[in-house]
Parts: sequence; structure tokens; C-alpha cells
Amino acid sequence: MQPPLCYNLNMNVFTSVGILILTMLIMAFLQLSTGIFLLFFHYCHGKYSRRKCSDMGLFYIIGVELCVALIFLSTYFSLNALYFATSNFDDTFLIWFIAGILAALAIVIFFCYYHKGKNTKLFISRRLASLLNEKAKNAKTRSDAFTLGFISTIPELFFTIPIYIVAAIETMQIGDTPIVRSLLVILFILSAVTPIIAAHMSMDFGYNLANIEKTRIRNKNFTRAFVSLLYLIIAILIITFKVIK
Amino acid sequence: MSTLDTKKLTKELKIDAKAVGIPSGASNIFIEKSISDALSNLADKTIITDDDLKRAIYKELKKYHPDLAYVYKNRDTII
Repeated sequence: MQPPLCYNLNMNVFTSVGILILTMLIMAFLQLSTGIFLLFFHYCHGKYSRRKCSDMGLFYIIGVELCVALIFLSTYFSLNALYFATSNFDDTFLIWFIAGILAALAIVIFFCYYHKGKNTKLFISRRLASLLNEKAKNAKTRSDAFTLGFISTIPELFFTIPIYIVAAIETMQIGDTPIVRSLLVILFILSAVTPIIAAHMSMDFGYNLANIEKTRIRNKNFTRAFVSLLYLIIAILIITFKVIK
Repeated sequence: MSTLDTKKLTKELKIDAKAVGIPSGASNIFIEKSISDALSNLADKTIITDDDLKRAIYKELKKYHPDLAYVYKNRDTII
């Protein structure tokens, strides 16, 4: 059986793999979940034993993974249903729309993702930031940690929804067997929590919030430019392989 | 107008100190000293803003532990 076709184009498997890797990189470089985790883990270390902190950190990671998995799989199955339901579905408009959104997001991320100044304040409203800060400070149980992890990905959906759509389309394009598709889905979900796991390990190995935050501030402009560039490259690749085939 | 809750501030700083890896005995001493020194530095001012207070405590904390001072100053700007 033919896999559901997403792009009616000659986009080969290598290009799809490349785009999928770029989407994973974007998921890994977005900062909100990591920032909330750093705060949460910092307060956790200040209040509880090392063992309880590790436990709660794990539940935070599971919360993030579950939220990413739910959004990604719902996007994947919605698109799959769309392509199966309409046999001659013309996806030209969809592709142009997504490419346009990605290009626009590249500009938005470059100029608006971070606040100005020597800090890592993100685009979210200050009221929401202080609410998340309070939630991170008052997390006491595993379920608090899980909920915090789960909700930490939601404010960033504005930037990630197009990424989920592109990744879902590419996964359908590459994986022609359920095992390959499942592996790609797992890789995508893991990519979103890689920086959180790295932060978890850093703090376990003795780095504190001050050290990590200084590094984040040093790399702030690089992160912003790099993520913006990734969005732009994905937009260009999609347009190139859809239109100029 | 708001009043300074030194007990709450001390408690928060102790949590930060433990998270940064400072032994609790040492942190208890210099946190209380930093707060009292900061308040005495500001005693001659008639109007004290939250920023003035934060700056004064940051300055005092920095003498004892720069990482703790950094966390105190920047914990609202992480996200």
C-alpha cells in the first residue's frame, strides 16, 4: 500500500530526513520548557532532598514528553485522515501557507523571541511569566511537576504548531512501515526534552542556576539567530521542493 | 506602599542558598547580615523603592557569594 502522499512532489527521502532533523533541532533549541525547568529544579534543590528532586525532575520531563507526543500525534493523525479522506487533495495551498508562516516566524523569532537586555526573558507576557514562576516555586509533588512540564509547552504553541505539521508530513513521507514511523515519532518527542535532560544532568553534576543562566545569556543571540535561520531554511526547502521540482 | 517582610525574604534566600550549594550554617549568617547591612545602608533615605532594596541586598550578598547574589537578582528574568 502506498503511504499517504503529502507533497505531490519529488522530494526525496534525504530532503525529508533533513527537514525532519531541522524540526527536531528547533524543538531542542526553543527555550520556554527549559527555562521553567531550570527555575523549578532550582527551587526543588533548595527545598528537598536530592532524591526527591531527581524524582520530580523525571516527572517534569514525562509531562513535557506527553504533551509533545499528544500534540504531534494528533497533528499526524489529523493530516493522515485529511489525505486519506480526500483522494485528490491538492496540498499546494497548505504547503504555501505553512512555508509563509515559517518565514514569518523566522522574522518574529529573530526580533521578538527574547526581550532586550542581559536576561533570558521570553516573548510571553510578564503576567504569565510570573504565574509560571510561582508554579515552579510552589511545586511540591510529582503531580505538580508533571502538570508544570505538561503546561510548559503550551505557551510556545504559536511557534511550534507549524513545526508539528511539517514534522508530521515528513514522517508520513519517510516512514513507509509502522516501525520506521514509530521510531521517527519517538525521536521527535525525545528531541524536545533533550535540553531539559541536559539541564537536569548539569545541575546533578554540580552546576547551579547562576552558571547555567550566564551560559544561556552568553548564547542568547546565537540561539535566536540559529532558530530563526532553521525556520527560514525549512521554509525555503519546502518551497524549493514543492514549486521548483 | 508596602512593608518589607524580612522573614519571607530570608526564607527565600535560604532556599536559593541551598540550591546554589552553600552550607546552611554559613548561609544563615551571611543572609541575615546582608539584609541588615542593606537596610542600614538605606536608612537615611525617605523613600525606598523595591529596586533600591533589591540593589542594596544584591550588593551585600555579592560580597559573600556572587552566585547567590546573581540568582537573587535574576530569578524573575529567567523566563
